[in-house]
Amino acid sequence: MELADRAVGFLLSVISLSIFTYYTFWVIILPFVDTDHFIHKYFLPQEYAILIPIFAGVVLLSFLCLFIGFVMLKSKKKKKAQ
Amino acid sequence: MKHIVKIITLLVTICALWMGLLQMSFAPSSHTWLLPIYFTVLLGCYGLLMVGVGLMRLPTCPREAALLQQFCMNLEEASSSYASSVVSALAGHFGS
Repeated sequence: MELADRAVGFLLSVISLSIFTYYTFWVIILPFVDTDHFIHKYFLPQEYAILIPIFAGVVLLSFLCLFIGFVMLKSKKKKKAQ
Repeated sequence: MKHIVKIITLLVTICALWMGLLQMSFAPSSHTWLLPIYFTVLLGCYGLLMVGVGLMRLPTCPREAALLQQFCMNLEEASSSYASSVVSALAGHFGS
């Protein structure tokens, strides 16, 4: 059980550090690199640096609203049954 | 409700600060949306990192877990023996 917690914690840390590194490189460092440098082929166009987080935020917000609505409906049904 | 008002106030303050910085040309206008989104993603990554580190360092206390299990077993044995003595006493009382 302890090993599973450590593994999941390690995975989360690695994911967060990877996202941070990639996004920092993409947004902060890449504008100062020449456009014909080979590193540009590993990154999407700059517009996606805005679109992807906004899309992810909208999806997360929608999921949260759906979940809250579902829980509220379920609790209302339970109260009616009682 | 109070917490929602606090969070909205904080968001409005941050937006006003950022718009003020843009107006006074302290922040580059080419990065109007990019920098706030960057800092939001940074905050999300920091939160995820703290959750991961907390999970890795979570103490499981195996000795205390074993003591608690022993305590629960002793309690179960004691309650079952008490219940059987109460049942036999009641049977004896109503039987006679």
